[in-house]
Amino acid sequence: MQRRDFFKKVGAVAAVGAVMPAMSFAADAKPVGPNAMSFKTAVDTITGGKAPKASKKIKLKLPEIAENGAVVPVTVEVESPMTDADYVKAIHVLAGKNSNARCIDVNLTPANGKAMFATRIKLGGTQEVSALVELSNGDFLIASQSVKVTIGGCG
Amino acid sequence: MADKRKSLIKLKPKKFKDGEVVKVSFMVMHPMDTGMRKDKKTKKIIPAKYINSVKFNYNGKDITTMTVWESLSVNPVFTTYMKINGKGKLTVTYTDNTGEVHEKSKKIKPKG
Repeated sequence: MQRRDFFKKVGAVAAVGAVMPAMSFAADAKPVGPNAMSFKTAVDTITGGKAPKASKKIKLKLPEIAENGAVVPVTVEVESPMTDADYVKAIHVLAGKNSNARCIDVNLTPANGKAMFATRIKLGGTQEVSALVELSNGDFLIASQSVKVTIGGCG
Repeated sequence: MADKRKSLIKLKPKKFKDGEVVKVSFMVMHPMDTGMRKDKKTKKIIPAKYINSVKFNYNGKDITTMTVWESLSVNPVFTTYMKINGKGKLTVTYTDNTGEVHEKSKKIKPKG
């Protein structure tokens, strides 16, 4: 065998070896969850087609870098008097790139006294987390923050 | 599941007066399986088991109702505020996608 041929063959084998794992990854794709929903459809189903306004009234507390995606603390606080005439009706927490973007919907009443909600969510990777707030007059407000996840939580 | 799940209702501050706004947190020991994860040993997909809805009921009135999906963490915590309105009972109920229902209540006694 000549030197030139030898290199050709080795190169071909290496190329096949490089392609194979990529193919097996594609075949072994993650199973889709029962309630898979993209971020856009989630927003549309909540608002009914209305465009939410970006607002500074919403305080979204999230870590900028989450070491563990399985436990990411979220706190949503909305400035509101919480009276019968003017109160926050609902807080929705959405994670943009999770297979099901909707995390939780919280329906509040004036009996809460303060519009605040805190929980811990799972994030599959680095993505933007949003809080969509519905007011009693029918308006929608939105605030988002990106979170860098070093280890994904949705396995 | 036959085994009883541990849950806890926490009020902050512990001592409060009538009409005060108090922080309430409800914690449950729950697996919150998404139905997308595989068991490392058996290589089988773990079936989905997650909390569907949570209700905060104070003296027969629903204060806060929540619709929950699978992307909440294992052993979830739900924290909100609530206005104290006389003596009574706070009951938190949750249901999960397999039909499991759990209830936890706490007496509320405002002082002063």
